[in-house]
Amino acid sequence: MKALQIAATGMAAQQMRVEVISNNIANMSTAAYRPRTAEFSDLMYQQHLTPGTITSQVGTVVPAGIQLGTGVKPSSVSMEITQGGLRDTGAELDLAVDGTGFFEITLPSGESAYTRDGKLNRSAEGEIVTMDGFPLADGLVIPENARNVAISRDGEVVAYFNDGSEGQAIGNISLVRFINEKGLEAMGDNLFRETEASGPANQLVPGTEGMGLIRQGFLEESSVDVVQEISELIEAQRGYELNSKVITAADEMLAATTRVR
Amino acid sequence: MSNAIYASLTRQDGLLREMQVIANNMANSSTTGFKSNHAIFAEHIAATGDESGSLSMGSLAGHNFDLSQGAMKHTGGQFDLAIHGEGFFVLDTPAGERLTRAGAFQLSADGNLIDAFGHQVQGAGGGAIAIPQEVTRISIAPDGTISSGEEILGQVAVVVADGEINQEGGTMFAAPGGYQQVEEPAVVQGTLEQSNVSSILEVSRLIEVQRAYEAGQSLIEKEDERINQLIKTMRQL
Repeated sequence: MKALQIAATGMAAQQMRVEVISNNIANMSTAAYRPRTAEFSDLMYQQHLTPGTITSQVGTVVPAGIQLGTGVKPSSVSMEITQGGLRDTGAELDLAVDGTGFFEITLPSGESAYTRDGKLNRSAEGEIVTMDGFPLADGLVIPENARNVAISRDGEVVAYFNDGSEGQAIGNISLVRFINEKGLEAMGDNLFRETEASGPANQLVPGTEGMGLIRQGFLEESSVDVVQEISELIEAQRGYELNSKVITAADEMLAATTRVR
Repeated sequence: MSNAIYASLTRQDGLLREMQVIANNMANSSTTGFKSNHAIFAEHIAATGDESGSLSMGSLAGHNFDLSQGAMKHTGGQFDLAIHGEGFFVLDTPAGERLTRAGAFQLSADGNLIDAFGHQVQGAGGGAIAIPQEVTRISIAPDGTISSGEEILGQVAVVVADGEINQEGGTMFAAPGGYQQVEEPAVVQGTLEQSNVSSILEVSRLIEVQRAYEAGQSLIEKEDERINQLIKTMRQL
């Protein structure tokens, strides 16, 4: 009986939706996290009687035919492109991107990764690194005796010293963007990798050509909307139950069939 | 077998397929742009081959889709489009052009508007819709015009099919009879059209189908008993 398998695809889809929602809720306090949404599409149709089949010599045709669907499949789990709220932390290397753009990070393998999580620190060598110790690809080094650094909205980094001398410009933090941000591959640890679908990284000065600005002393919060996630969760749970009803009904119909000798 | 059993079998065969239609509707209750299906039964008159005339049977004759509007869900996505009222978006697939109401679009790596499977969304007058990379704030007007500030970047085609449409996987429809542009479309940006499956209707239909199937089954059982009884009685004569 096909109805059993079809309902099973429906239950699998709703289960996947619950998994996506639970990951969103789990990340409701993760810096710069963007919620994911599961999208579904129907599977192919069995053509039992194709619409348009000729039914007589005078040219009458079957108007609707019999096309039986075979269930549902996930079509994508895509990232919502939203701006999270900016939280004032006051820390000198807490950077938030206000608008489009990612920081470029160099991984130990030499590969580039991209993130919007701007919780950065100084390393022992004075490099600007992420919480995992991966340096910014811009390769800035803060002098050892620098008291603090000021980062302008367009990414210029100026170091100030204790002796009251004038600030020293030590470089620029750039931002990158992609044609299709939804096409980035999430690597965990708030990092993303460029893919065929995202297009190549395009490096620009913050604030130019529609690129976002850098805000020093702020962190971007997670943009998960908990109320929305909970209502989605209720929907997914009920959807799951409905599909299980189909399985019960199909099972009872099969039982009725087997009652006959 | 007796004619009563045949009539009941035809009905049950149709009910099993209708069950499949209901299961498919319920499985797609969260599919963006999905249109629910309904089975249609028609009377089928079979000649019985003797003087008694003919036998009427209910068999599955076809099915139709309910093209009514699904609920609109606000997502805020800049390329999440829904159509209010009639019309379909046009996708360029390897199998030819297909129509869809699932408007969860995104950009490809070369800047074209595509769906989740990578099919290009067609602009009014044909061809893909390219969005330049430096453009950030995109607004899409109800008539499908895509613009950024003062600059017009393209127009999403919104069409209606001429003649019948066939349902295919991927929430797409084939329009073998061609299509034409809708005169006054109403494209809504930042919104997706949800599945128009009504769970309450589907559940009540499900119960109906299940009970009708069981009724047919008990008719077959009764008929079986009757024939058995008949044979016994005949033997005693």
